[in-house]
Amino acid sequence: MADGTTQPLLRFTGHRHLTSRLVLSTLTGRPVRISQIRPNNVTRQGLQPHEVSFLRLLDAITNGSQIEFGMSGSTLVYRPGLITGSVEGLGASGGIIRHEISRECATRGISWWIVPLCILAPFSKGHVNVVFHGEGCVTSATPAGDLSVDSVRTAILPLYKQFGVERDIELRVLKRSCSPGPGKSAGGEVQLVFNHQVRLPKTLHLLNGGRVKRIRGVAYAIGVGGSNNARMIETARGVLNKFVPDTYIFSDVSSAPLIPTKEKGHPTGKKKGGVGFGLSLVAESSTNCLYSADAASPPEGGITPEDIGKHCAYQLLECIERGGCVEKSAVETVLCLMAMGSEDVGRLALGRDVIGDEDVIQLGRDLREFGGAGWGMRDKGEDSDGIVVSVVGRGVGNVGRKAA
Amino acid sequence: MAPTLGKRKRITREELETSDRSASPSSQSSSSDNEDVQDIFRRAFEAKFKPLGVEPKMQKLEQPEEASAEEEESDDESNWSGLASSSPSTPIQTISPPSTRPKTTHLSKSEKRAFMSSKPPSNTSRSRAPNPTTTTAADPTDEATHLKNDLALQRLLRDSHLLSRTPSSGSTLTGALRHKSTDLHLQTLGARTSIHTQKHMPMSHRKGIVAKAAQREERRRAEARENGVILERVGKVGKKREGKREGGVGGPGVGRMKGGTLELSRRDVRDITGGGGRGGRGKGGRRGKR
Repeated sequence: MADGTTQPLLRFTGHRHLTSRLVLSTLTGRPVRISQIRPNNVTRQGLQPHEVSFLRLLDAITNGSQIEFGMSGSTLVYRPGLITGSVEGLGASGGIIRHEISRECATRGISWWIVPLCILAPFSKGHVNVVFHGEGCVTSATPAGDLSVDSVRTAILPLYKQFGVERDIELRVLKRSCSPGPGKSAGGEVQLVFNHQVRLPKTLHLLNGGRVKRIRGVAYAIGVGGSNNARMIETARGVLNKFVPDTYIFSDVSSAPLIPTKEKGHPTGKKKGGVGFGLSLVAESSTNCLYSADAASPPEGGITPEDIGKHCAYQLLECIERGGCVEKSAVETVLCLMAMGSEDVGRLALGRDVIGDEDVIQLGRDLREFGGAGWGMRDKGEDSDGIVVSVVGRGVGNVGRKAA
Repeated sequence: MAPTLGKRKRITREELETSDRSASPSSQSSSSDNEDVQDIFRRAFEAKFKPLGVEPKMQKLEQPEEASAEEEESDDESNWSGLASSSPSTPIQTISPPSTRPKTTHLSKSEKRAFMSSKPPSNTSRSRAPNPTTTTAADPTDEATHLKNDLALQRLLRDSHLLSRTPSSGSTLTGALRHKSTDLHLQTLGARTSIHTQKHMPMSHRKGIVAKAAQREERRRAEARENGVILERVGKVGKKREGKREGGVGGPGVGRMKGGTLELSRRDVRDITGGGGRGGRGKGGRRGKR
């Protein structure tokens, strides 16, 4: 942007919270300088492949962004441009951006890219249509703690409805893949369509978490037998049916993704990508609040489907126990959208453990750093130990829409 | 009495046992003190009034076959009846926990599609099935009256904004309001244009006004259609004149003069030569004229 040079750089250090800082930078238009990114790590100094890949994605959906790396990759300067979406001629062909994720990024699930991208998408000038593919595209939950795409679709994307963003949002899973072992490839493929852009998201007031009325879920088996799904579902329902009779878990069995090998003398050779199984559960409360849990088989294997099912069910119960209207994995999305809303105070009840999470606190600090008003917090009272967070919107919203 | 610590009267073991036994239902068969007292009371009552019924009703409720068996026995064994009165008054209920086994209920196809599609699942996927039957069951006469009322209401609303502004002098409108009401009346009777429309203006202005009006009307109709409001029918747009226009005086009888040359269209040529089977009427007319 033209005024990017005049604005002073916001300075951050460390590799943590990288995506949320870059997202906030893009939304607010403030350039950032992030230094000391893993400075002392000998083997993995500087930015990691998945972080570079995210920067490439930002570059693809914005126009006029400037990204500068330091020599060792431990310093990054990012001057954001306008969020244009999948505009022809700027990285998109046929209205679709194809974002390849290399094999080195397979440690992270694809939700690590998708969730921040979804925060940017409502503020884009044009439609957002991105296909993630490649040898590092993992659709399942990962040991690194990323959600599965099913959880993103069923637990994160419905939250946008409360901000008045609901039309033409799709997350298509074209090829599923579990997280592969070290040195192997995943080979999933996911398409995100986000065609509802708004000027300003609506102000949110969510104070009543309600009571859980239904639980849905998706069990996926990729390249392994479908009986694994049945076993996961059986144990998960054994735990959950006591509490919520309206529990139903769908089963999705797909074959392993095939990745072309580039061997000599065998040009059409293919090998299997990440195989495994996993479970994604979503609980919906009477006031349409969502709680989700994810578990998947680790790449090294050796865990029975029963364990995964039980683990996931307990994780869901834990998530519900934390309370509040928004769970931990979705809180960044909700708070960012609230902060980008109109100049009005939105309120959100959160569980004490959710707001006390390190990432959430850091998000609040970063938001203030980017020029937002601080959060107001008070005890919820009413015999619940939650906390009500008041967030004042910036009132700037979608700059691209304003100009258009 | 003053509470003295350590001087409380001890409950003896016998007392404890007897009180325990009278309370517990398991010791019904033995003839305890409690039963004796009740028996005495009962006998005194029966001496004064009628003899009591042998069996209380409560027992019958929970186990009828046993109760009937006891009734037969009670004739020869009068002591036995004490058992029933000391039995617990509330019937024993067996509550089994809801089975934690997954039930084999299957969700409907539509619900599966709603959840497993690529779109985020909507919250209103349920309770959609029973609606259409009720709407079709509504009788058509009702629909017709609704339509009629709707139109009448619209007519009222159209004039009401004039009526609301009138001073309370009655039905006579004055000044601009009178003109407006006349205008409305004329329009309802089928006038093409309002009497307030400006006649003379630059062409670009007129075009703009017309385009804007058309756009506004279209938007209004679209919104009404979305909201389910029934609007008035679209008025007949002035019909395009069909057929040949009367040419000016001194023009050519056939074809068009353009750039100093007489241009004949294909149709004109066909008319002149009379070739082709079609257009007999036009051909005949022309022939007669010339």
